Amino acid sequence: MLDQGVGARSDATEFETLAFAMLESFAAWLGRTSLSNYVASQAWVVPTVQTVHILAITVVVASAVVLSLRLLGLVERGQSVGALTIRFARPSIVAIVILALTGLLMIAGEPTRAIFRYVFWWKMALIALAIVLTSGLLAALKVQAVWEDPQAPVPPLYRVLAVGLLLIWLAVIVAGRWIGYAQGWPGSPS
Amino acid sequence: MTLADLINWLQDTPLSVTIRESDWVFPTIESIHVAAFVVVVGSISIVDLRLLGLASRSRNADELIRELLPITWSAFAIAALAGALLFIGKPLTYTASFFFLGKMVLLLLAGLNMGVFHLFVHPRLDGPADRVATPLAARASGFVSLALWVGVVAFGRWIGFTTN
Repeated sequence: MLDQGVGARSDATEFETLAFAMLESFAAWLGRTSLSNYVASQAWVVPTVQTVHILAITVVVASAVVLSLRLLGLVERGQSVGALTIRFARPSIVAIVILALTGLLMIAGEPTRAIFRYVFWWKMALIALAIVLTSGLLAALKVQAVWEDPQAPVPPLYRVLAVGLLLIWLAVIVAGRWIGYAQGWPGSPS
Repeated sequence: MTLADLINWLQDTPLSVTIRESDWVFPTIESIHVAAFVVVVGSISIVDLRLLGLASRSRNADELIRELLPITWSAFAIAALAGALLFIGKPLTYTASFFFLGKMVLLLLAGLNMGVFHLFVHPRLDGPADRVATPLAARASGFVSLALWVGVVAFGRWIGFTTN
């Protein structure tokens, strides 16, 4: 397999060759596990897992919508950002854990699919960016007056960051949907 | 002209052919559909969980609904438009799909539940801001709404697995 793959391309870097080989052996190992065989053998499992995955992302996106609109002054005006974070942080964290677990189940059900597509790694990068950005934004807001005082002004930078954050999560959804349509890397196992 | 004729005619329109045969048009519209309905379901569940008394208890339910409804409707308009385009791409497939027809029924029921809520239950939610508990009818509306929307998402996902 490897001799036709990314690793064998004349312009492939050492990193690409190594990463491809690692993904290939990971997919081969995962494909032999009983979890993988179970998910693949039961027709109802994958759509159920995907439904749960989508329901969990609604929690994260709803939280991002409320946070960005609060910082823009459109909703939750009487609420401090601190109070808002207490309401939405825990459900979002639980939802992200569910997203990771259901995502892993989907990969287990079809190990040769997602991880051999650029769009999957774009999605992972966007998720990492969204999580880092959210943590940074909330940490920065914590020292602002609006964390405690609902009437305090929100600095424009934070409004821009919050809207950016929402757009990143929507991009995560779009990238996720494209995993089902994108072409795998040349030479990737099927 | 029967409904079947209309579906057949729709299937042969240039728009339908384009959506169906292009490599990128269908997935692009579908991505927009999913991103929009995630906002629909997310904003609705905030309200439903408040009605059930499970979340946002510090907020007055009536105020929360007034704030979130414009978001729900804007996102719904985008999701419905994108959904209509997806339907135009494969009308013969979808009108023959149990899960597509089931999803439409569930959407209709969700709309009906929302209508009943706004006509009969919402006017009773005028208590003070600190009132945590909502009337039983409001809790029932919230529960039915959540259940129906979970069903809409599940049926929607099953459409993708049972048609091509």
